[in-house]
Formats: sequence, structure tokens, C-alpha cells
Amino acid sequence: MFFNSLSFAIFLPIVFLLYWLVFNKNKTTQNAVLIVASYYFYSCWDWRFLFLLVFSTLLDYFSAIMMENSSSDKKRKLWLWITIGINLGFLGVFKYYDFFAQSFADLLQGFGFQANPVLLKLILPVGISFYTFHGLSYVIDIYYKRITAERNFIDYSLFVSYFPLLVAGPIERATHLLPQVKIKRHFNFEKAKEGVYQIIWGLVKKVVIADSCATYANAVFDNYESMNSLSLALGAVYFAFQIYGDFSGYSDIALGTSKLFGIDLLKNFNYPYFSRDIAEFWRRWHISLSSWFRDYLYIPLGGSQGGMWMKVRNTFIIFLVSGFWHGANWTFIIWGLLNAIYFLPLLLQNKNRSNMGEIEMGWDLGSVKTILNILGTFALTTIAWIFFRAKSISEAVGYIQKMVTDLHFKSEYLSNERYNFELVLLVLAFVVVEWFNRSKVEPLSGKASWVKVTLAIMALLALGVYSDYKEFIYFQF
Amino acid sequence: MKQFLVFIVKIVVVLLLVAFALDFIYTTVFVQSKTRNKVENVINSEPQNYDVVILGTSRANNHFVSELFEKEGLKTFNYGMSGAHLFETSLMLKLMVERGWNIKNIILETDLNLSNEKRDDGTFGRFMPFMHQSNTITEHFKNEPDFIELYYVPFYRYIQFDSKVGFRAFYKSLQQEPTNTLANKGYYPLGFNPKANMKNNIESLVPLRNRYFEEIKQICKSNNINLIAVTTPICSNVKGMDYFKKVKKLYPEIKEYEHFVEGDHYFSSCGHLNDKGARAYTSKIIEDLEFKRE
Repeated sequence: MFFNSLSFAIFLPIVFLLYWLVFNKNKTTQNAVLIVASYYFYSCWDWRFLFLLVFSTLLDYFSAIMMENSSSDKKRKLWLWITIGINLGFLGVFKYYDFFAQSFADLLQGFGFQANPVLLKLILPVGISFYTFHGLSYVIDIYYKRITAERNFIDYSLFVSYFPLLVAGPIERATHLLPQVKIKRHFNFEKAKEGVYQIIWGLVKKVVIADSCATYANAVFDNYESMNSLSLALGAVYFAFQIYGDFSGYSDIALGTSKLFGIDLLKNFNYPYFSRDIAEFWRRWHISLSSWFRDYLYIPLGGSQGGMWMKVRNTFIIFLVSGFWHGANWTFIIWGLLNAIYFLPLLLQNKNRSNMGEIEMGWDLGSVKTILNILGTFALTTIAWIFFRAKSISEAVGYIQKMVTDLHFKSEYLSNERYNFELVLLVLAFVVVEWFNRSKVEPLSGKASWVKVTLAIMALLALGVYSDYKEFIYFQF
Repeated sequence: MKQFLVFIVKIVVVLLLVAFALDFIYTTVFVQSKTRNKVENVINSEPQNYDVVILGTSRANNHFVSELFEKEGLKTFNYGMSGAHLFETSLMLKLMVERGWNIKNIILETDLNLSNEKRDDGTFGRFMPFMHQSNTITEHFKNEPDFIELYYVPFYRYIQFDSKVGFRAFYKSLQQEPTNTLANKGYYPLGFNPKANMKNNIESLVPLRNRYFEEIKQICKSNNINLIAVTTPICSNVKGMDYFKKVKKLYPEIKEYEHFVEGDHYFSSCGHLNDKGARAYTSKIIEDLEFKRE
């Protein structure tokens, strides 16, 4: 059941009405109805993986309590590592086993040995990377005594399986979400209205921007060998907007949906393509994952303490792990590595925190520099996305090579029966709307909101892509 | 909560109003267009006289050179449509009859398309703007499982088939930008493709006693149209060629030409002749068959 499907459009109002009108007695009934809805929502993909979700919930719940009850640090550490080991073990088996087995076999073959690895070819349980990290943050926080273990199983289950964030985040923190599910929520019209606006805007990003860009990006990437420089450059830009519209659109729908139930989720995107350097980009893109890696990997590794070498080493580690988190393919690892390389000059010059404030624009040279920085950062990010999108490293390298050496700039006719420039205006219009609303969560609220909502609905109906249905990219992670 | 429900009702009302308005605007533009595809060209036509009308899929569209018929004094148009199934082909013929066309001969490509009776979404979508304009279309579609939504929910048909009748097609129709679909009297020549895949596997296909072929035969009979059903050439490296034997067994009246052109240099892909192959094939058809004339 996707957020942009008819079944979700039926499911959501039913859960909403049950939650506020039937089971609104106390927080336990509210939480219970959300858990049932969440499990139903998850089972719509594949009910068999529901057992995995329940097991993961039970594991983290009990190990957190055991950790807290442990009399010695040694026992606490043991419980921590058991939990981490099992959680990552599941992730490893489902997501990474085949990759490691195949890579090892390839390596042996490189040395002249014949190896036929046993591949499991398992279906990846949807959202496993998200809820595993979700649970891990909880047990690590318990270990470090940042929070106390949650004793109420219903509350904890909801924290893990809350349907708006279950399949593709944001990766919540116990410190943020648990306090909200531990109290009875009261209906707040303004918050619910904000949620509806965010859902509509998220749908526009997904159905109008991402899915339109996808048809063009696919037509270019799938035939990159016969494309010229202009098509390849546009294909990369289209993919950049596809993945942004897709994932930030998903996040907007998730956050908006959650607001309907009176629960705030962590912000996941903050207009990342308006970043002035790559460090700022990573503070604005998939914020919940970046901050997860910062808090649970970068800082425990020593963070920025211990000199420049440590900083560089730790930065490379988190980017490589972040790349690998996305999928078991070398393309994701190279994508992470590229971002680390982009990050390096800023780190060496201690400039990685120089663009922390809001973007100020005026009629001066400083603004021109800002615009150039934004465009430069976008270009770097777009090149890295080519690795993210390509099926293999050689395909990505071939794509970039052709893009910079072909040097033909005639508009080409694509396999989707479109010309390669046709989407540019729509993308530009989207950028303009985002630019003038970059201080807001979404552009629909505020003055003339009904006019804006009407235009958004018009765009959804007239410009959305429906026949060539595309699922959210991040569901595969 | 009451305030929120009122807010939601308002959103739904806006949604419905926008859907009605868009439906009206799109339909108004599409029903006046007749230069962008063969479906609208037929629907928006005046009564016509044709000696030969060609119907079928891309294997008709790319194989019958209208110009060669015309040289023989036969007024011809190729209405073959890429991807079309006999479901849509039958509807096209019904619409021609409904529009008062006087057709002497129909050449119908009947080979691989005999294997299914389902609709082809790509072609089906092109009829969507005309659902409320023609009883023939409504009747033809009324047994489709999504007919109710397509017919009654405003703008749903344009959403469902947005790649064919979406914003882009609407905009191009509004601009009255013609396509090359109607050039060469409907024949679309293919070039020689040295990288083409010259093999195919049709083992999974089984020809049916196809209800839409039967329907076409019936329409032709009652309108005194000479129906010529033919198979069209396919490359030699095909697995499952006994399909054509089954066709022959099922419909002995279908004339066999699947082997007529030998040699990959006549093909653009395994199932499609290039222009050179199409000309050779069409010449053979003209030579072999007898056409009704004035």
C-alpha cells in the first residue's frame, strides 16, 4: 500500500475516524488502533515479514529492559552487542549476504580460483533498513543512559511500527517520538490542516515532479550509449529531481499523515538543492539518516576529536557506510565515497560549518557568489547521483565519459516518445516555487492558501504521472 | 474536529470542481482534433470512399505501402496502429461504418493478434476523450471492468491513460500540432536496422477463435465489404512457427504470407519489415489478391 495509491486514500480516512471518533478514550486505545493499522499497513506488502517486525520489536524491547536491569557494565555491554548483532544479522542476511558472497567469489576468481557461491536471493523486507536503525538508536540510547527503557509494550511497539514512518522513515529517535506516544493526543485543527497541506505538496512532488522526471531519466539512462551530451546532462538533472521529489515527497506525506494523528515526526529534508556547499547539503538531505550516522557512528568513532586525520577517517567511514546502507551494490559505495571526497576540502579548511545560516539574497556580488555556490553544489551532487542511479560502476563511468566527450547538444527524441528538453520548464517552475517558500515547511499554507491548494490539485490531476506507476525509490532500501 | 471535516469537504469539492473543469476542457480540445492520431482522424471524419482500408497492428502499419495501392488506382489508407489488438481494430471498423464510410475492401492483418481478445491500453486510451461522444464506443467498452470509473468519474479517463491523452497530448492538440502518423496515407516505413534482434519466440502464443475477428467478419458481411484477412511476414529465426499452422486450421480463409519475404535484409526487426521488405510484400499482395473496384 503506497502513499500515492487509492488503497491508502481509503485506509487513511478510516484510521483517522477510528482514531479520533471511536478509540479516542485514552492514549492506550489511541496507540492500539495505530498499531493495528500499522501492522495491517505493513502486511499489505508481505504479511510474512510482519513476524520479522514483531521479532525486532520484542528483541529491542526486552533487551533494553535487560540492559537497564543489569547490575554491571559488562552485562549491559553484552546485551547491547547481542541486540546489535541480531539486528544487523537480519539486515545482513536479507540485504547484504548475496552481495558479499558474490563479491568474494569474484575476488577469488580474480586470483584464478573457481567459486560458485550459494546465493539466497531473498526478497528484501520493505523498510528493514529503517526500522532496524530505528530500534538500534533506541537500544544505544538506553546503553548510554540517555533515556530509560520503555516498559509499556504497546507504546514501544507503536514507536517501532508507526505506519507513517515504517517503510521509509524518517528514522525516529526515542527521545523525540516516545514522549509523544506516551500521552493522549488531542485534536488540533491547525496541526491537522498543516498535515493535509503537507500531504498534498508531498503528492505533487512525487506524482508530478518525481514520476515525470523518472520517465525522462529512465529513457536517458537506459539508452545512455546512444545519447549526446545534452541528453545525458539533462538525464542526470532529471534523476536528481526524481530522487528528491520522490523521497522528500514521501517524507512530506509521512510527516503530514502523522500530523493528522497529532504526532510530529523529525524533519527529513530542508530544501537540499539550495545548499551552498556539500556539508550544508548533508545537513539538509535525509536529515534523520545523516544525524543518525553522526550520533551513533561518527561521534562514537571519535568524531572531530583527535586531530585532522581522525576527522578525515571518520568522515570517510560514515559516507561509505551511508552509501552501503542504501543498497548492496558497489555503485552506492562509490556514491558515498564521492560525497566523502567532495566533503574533504571543506574539512581540511575547517569550512564544513561555514554555511549554517539561512540563505540571504540581495542585489550584490555576494548573492551572485551564493548562486554560483548553489549551482556548483547541485552539479557535484548530480554527478554523484549518476553512480546512485546506474546499474554498475562501468555504466556510471561510461555515462559520465559520454556526457563530457560527446559534445553534441542537439535535442534528441527519447524512447518514451518525448523530446529531452520538454520537462525543463516544469522542473524550473518547481525550483522557483521551492525557492520562494524555502523558509516554510510547504508552500501551500499562508496567504491565498485556497488558490494555491486549487493549483496544486490541478497540477496533480493534469500533470501527474499515473499510468506508468512508479513506487517510491527508498522503499527498496 | 467539525472545523476539520468542513475543511476536508471543501478540499473534496475543489477536487471535484477541478476534475469537472479539466474534463470539460480536455474533452473540448480532443474532440475537435483530427490530425494527431488515427483514432481521432476516424471519429472526426466526414463520410469517405475508400477502395482499400488496411487494419491491424504495427505489422499492418509498417507492412502495407498505401502508395503502391494508389498507383493501381485504388484509393487506400493504412489504419494499422502499433500495439492495437483486434478489440480496438473492430471498434475502428465500427466507427468507420458509423461515420458513413463507403469501403470496398478491407485488408486485415490477422496473425499474432488473433491470440488475445483483451484491450491494448495504449490504443484503448486514445478513445477515451470520445467516450461520451459516440454510442458505438460506449457500447464497445461497456463490458470492460473499469468502465464505470472511466465513464462516470470526471477526468479519471485522462488520468488513467495520461501517457496517451494526458497534458502533453492535450497541449499538442490545442496547438494543432500534427504528427507523422497520418503521413504516407497511414503507412509508416521502417529503416534497416543492422543491430536489430532477428529472432523471436512465439511458442507461448495460441490463436483463438477470436470474437473480435468474428465481429469484423460480421460487420464486413452486413456492409458488403470485401474482407481480406492475411498473415504478414516474420523473420526466419522464430521459435514456435507452428502458430501459423494453427491459425490456418482455425481460419482457413486467412491468406498466408508469413514466409513470403526471406532474408534479414528485408526486416527492421524480427516482426517488422523495413521499407524495402514492405514494398516487396505489398506488391505481392496487389498481384495476388482481387480487389473490389467501382
